[in-house]
Amino acid sequence: MSVVGIDLGTTNSVIATVRDGQVVVVPAAHGGYLHPSVVSFSADGLKYFSREGVARRIVDPKYTVYSGKRLIGLSFQSKEVQKAVSRLPYELREGNNEQAVFVGPDRTYTIPEVSGLLLGYLRQCCELFLGDTVTGAVITVPANFNDAQRRATIDAGRIAGLDVLRVLNEPTAAALAYGLGQNMSQRIAVFDFGGGTFDITILQVEGDVFEVLATGGDTFLGGDDMDTALLNILAELFRAEHGIDPRTDQAAHARLLIAAEQVKCHLSEFPEARGELKNIAIGDRGEQLALRFHIARNVFETSFRGLVSRTIQTTQEVLTSVGLAASQIDEVIMVGGTTRVPLVRAEVERYFGRPPRTDLNPDEVVAWGAAIQAENLAHAGENLANQAVLLDVTPRALGIAVAGGFSERILDRNVPVPVEQTRIFTTSADNQSTVRIQVCQGESRRFDENVPLGELELSGIPPARRGEISIEVTFRVDTNGILRVRARDAATGAVREAAVNVRGGMSDLEVAEAVERQKSREGPVDDTLLPDIEKLEEEINELGDLGDIEELKD
Amino acid sequence: MTRQTPEQLANFVRQLYGKLDQLSYYELLGVSSATPLTDVRNAFYRMSGDLHPDRYHTLADRELKERLETIYARICEGYRVLTTPEKRTAYARALQEGKKRLTSTDRESRAPQSPEDTIGHEEAKKFFRLGILSLGRKDFKGAVMNFNFARSFEPQSAVINQKLGEAQAALGKPGGPGVK
Repeated sequence: MSVVGIDLGTTNSVIATVRDGQVVVVPAAHGGYLHPSVVSFSADGLKYFSREGVARRIVDPKYTVYSGKRLIGLSFQSKEVQKAVSRLPYELREGNNEQAVFVGPDRTYTIPEVSGLLLGYLRQCCELFLGDTVTGAVITVPANFNDAQRRATIDAGRIAGLDVLRVLNEPTAAALAYGLGQNMSQRIAVFDFGGGTFDITILQVEGDVFEVLATGGDTFLGGDDMDTALLNILAELFRAEHGIDPRTDQAAHARLLIAAEQVKCHLSEFPEARGELKNIAIGDRGEQLALRFHIARNVFETSFRGLVSRTIQTTQEVLTSVGLAASQIDEVIMVGGTTRVPLVRAEVERYFGRPPRTDLNPDEVVAWGAAIQAENLAHAGENLANQAVLLDVTPRALGIAVAGGFSERILDRNVPVPVEQTRIFTTSADNQSTVRIQVCQGESRRFDENVPLGELELSGIPPARRGEISIEVTFRVDTNGILRVRARDAATGAVREAAVNVRGGMSDLEVAEAVERQKSREGPVDDTLLPDIEKLEEEINELGDLGDIEELKD
Repeated sequence: MTRQTPEQLANFVRQLYGKLDQLSYYELLGVSSATPLTDVRNAFYRMSGDLHPDRYHTLADRELKERLETIYARICEGYRVLTTPEKRTAYARALQEGKKRLTSTDRESRAPQSPEDTIGHEEAKKFFRLGILSLGRKDFKGAVMNFNFARSFEPQSAVINQKLGEAQAALGKPGGPGVK
């Protein structure tokens, strides 16, 4: 029985484990160590993962889910999901409890279910590789993931049949991978720029203690935005040549997006990229239309300079919040594939006045840390050498709605966890029998300017004049960053304690059903897991040769 | 402070948990009002090595685990107060007033929302309140009537419709008062 660390990424996922004291990263089915975070559904009930899934983004974009991390734990009406809906080729709709659900060929799937399928696949890859069952996992999340997003991630793990030992913040995991056993005494910044999110975290590392001083970020900013910027450049080039906008055709759009990602990687190494993409679209007379492109790095950089500036601004904000200057940081760690982009490295170096550390693979470092922590937790109580202590903080202020449309803060942001705070409130009307504790996150004094998380109702309050009743509201955030709320009527002792009924989340019953469904699918692991990529690639080649793009020239 | 046996741990937790509210942050962290910030931090790091919830991940006793977490949360709270200069000053005052925690124990003048706050129409509000009272008396028929009245003034209100649904469900329950 093994425990693993999983970096469940927006674009790619990485799974690692500790064997004989060494971190081992589990190879992907098609080489490398990155498992694309893609799940594709076919009408006959089959699911395709990883690179197979990526291939199916071209042949079956409507039923191929990617960037699920951008949706997990968010309500359908949230602006993030609405923005995604307008851009994604697969269909999302509103399900139970304001959840965003994916419309599959056979039925709808909640986002934690889709992520659960992906985690189940990763788990099987790992089991094949290790020849051992995987029972528990530490799954990493962006530090600024909120309560609902963390819960949804735990649900996904449970659906995959995993005991989720911990949801761990990605930057903390990265710091652990860099710092454990180094006997450091340093203040470090983790600059984490992945496919879909940006985080900046400041930590104090003293020996085996990793204390997060502050964290901040943007859950809706990442390398995918660069891909989109590049896709737009490619699409405009195509339109200039052929007079057709390839973005209006789903298959062409998917092909361009895959090309954009490759061109981005190429431009990270070389000052320019030129190549030809055959068969992007079909012309008026049924002829295949190709795109010849020649893009200089600086043209590409101009298109996303704004994104990079936003990351530096966020970094400045976070440092200011803990009263530090950029020069007071001893070390800067780069995490996430997007930090390979030269402009990003240059701007980070310019801001901090020192070259960032890139000696560990920025794609794998988070999974490394997660694997170490999984081992830590599985062997808690045994006196291991170098057992790290991770001291994390709340990413957002949390409060409740009070009469008049205001929000009363109960927990500040960047407070060490676990934390427990109680505030005493009263009633606003005579003979008020029920209070509704509406929980929100955010710093604003006005409730509706914050993000609503969910609610809890305390009823059966005995009749009394307004203001005479005392209601104790207790917020408790544990080391997973999960919130529990307790409302207590001080006079009667009546208590309502609950995880807030999270908007956009799955109910316990839904999770239990999904767990059962997944279990019933599970048989002994066999080779059918190893995907028939050749067949698929053949299929794609018939649609159009992807080969040329690989012969990118600078 | 490293504890060897589960019994010792359980004892330690029982003792500390019982008197948690009587301990100042200084006593809890084993430092004094003169201890400089960096030494407070070192004390906290040392205690974290022993008491952080991660250390007890495999502990089966849930109540013990919960109590450990409460104790450790209080230690975190003390650490934050004693290492933030303004908070530490404020805490010195609070201690003189006999308070062991720097946290508001005064009753807020403001109240959490009442469900009726989301209702705009005065008449709808009135019948909604009556409906809630009926629900409290387990008069489900009366509750349904009142919520229906409330709804006639404000048909779109989610809270009215929700409560109406609850009342109707209670009324329709097998063994309940029965419909009509």
